[in-house]
Amino acid sequence: MTTTLVVLTVVDIALLIAGLAVYLFWVGGLLARVATNLEDCADTVRRINTHAEAIVPGVSHINRTGGVVAGALPLLYGMAEQIVVGATYSPPTEERPPARPASGTRRSRLHDAVGFGPR
Amino acid sequence: MSTQDETLWWIAIAAGIVVILVVVALLSLLIRYVKVIDRRVAGIRDTLHGTEANTADTALVPVTATRVDAVLAEGLQHHLFLGRVLGKVKS
Repeated sequence: MTTTLVVLTVVDIALLIAGLAVYLFWVGGLLARVATNLEDCADTVRRINTHAEAIVPGVSHINRTGGVVAGALPLLYGMAEQIVVGATYSPPTEERPPARPASGTRRSRLHDAVGFGPR
Repeated sequence: MSTQDETLWWIAIAAGIVVILVVVALLSLLIRYVKVIDRRVAGIRDTLHGTEANTADTALVPVTATRVDAVLAEGLQHHLFLGRVLGKVKS
């Protein structure tokens, strides 16, 4: 009887130790994988942070310069319209008078040839 | 060994088995929780990889800012040109 009790006690203790060992090994493997994944996450977050550092100053720069460009464009097309108005031919709107000779009354030399001179 | 000692020993063995069963149950629960943590951490890792892929092109933002500066410089050149031409056309 005593032998049975001793054997059962040893089996009991061995089962406890074996169970603890198996479960702790299992948990250890899972936790190691979790730690690896978390390390990967930390590296990725660090890279994302590095990428994001360029966003705010770059977008502020673009916004500022874009505002200047947008403010200057009306001035540019206003000047272009003035140039177009100044360079386009506009015909006169009033009616033209009849053509008159520039030299006035035409003078004939036939009278001079016969010795006639109008008074 | 007396009968009482044997009884106590049996009780100790039974208590040891109960302890083993409780330990197995608690460690199984622990493993289940750790598996949930592992699965969710893997999901977070995948999401972060996607986010990293999305933010990988932010290096183009300063380049775009430089290009917009070039547009502004070109616009100033146009302004100078139009200012000169406008004076000649009006005169």
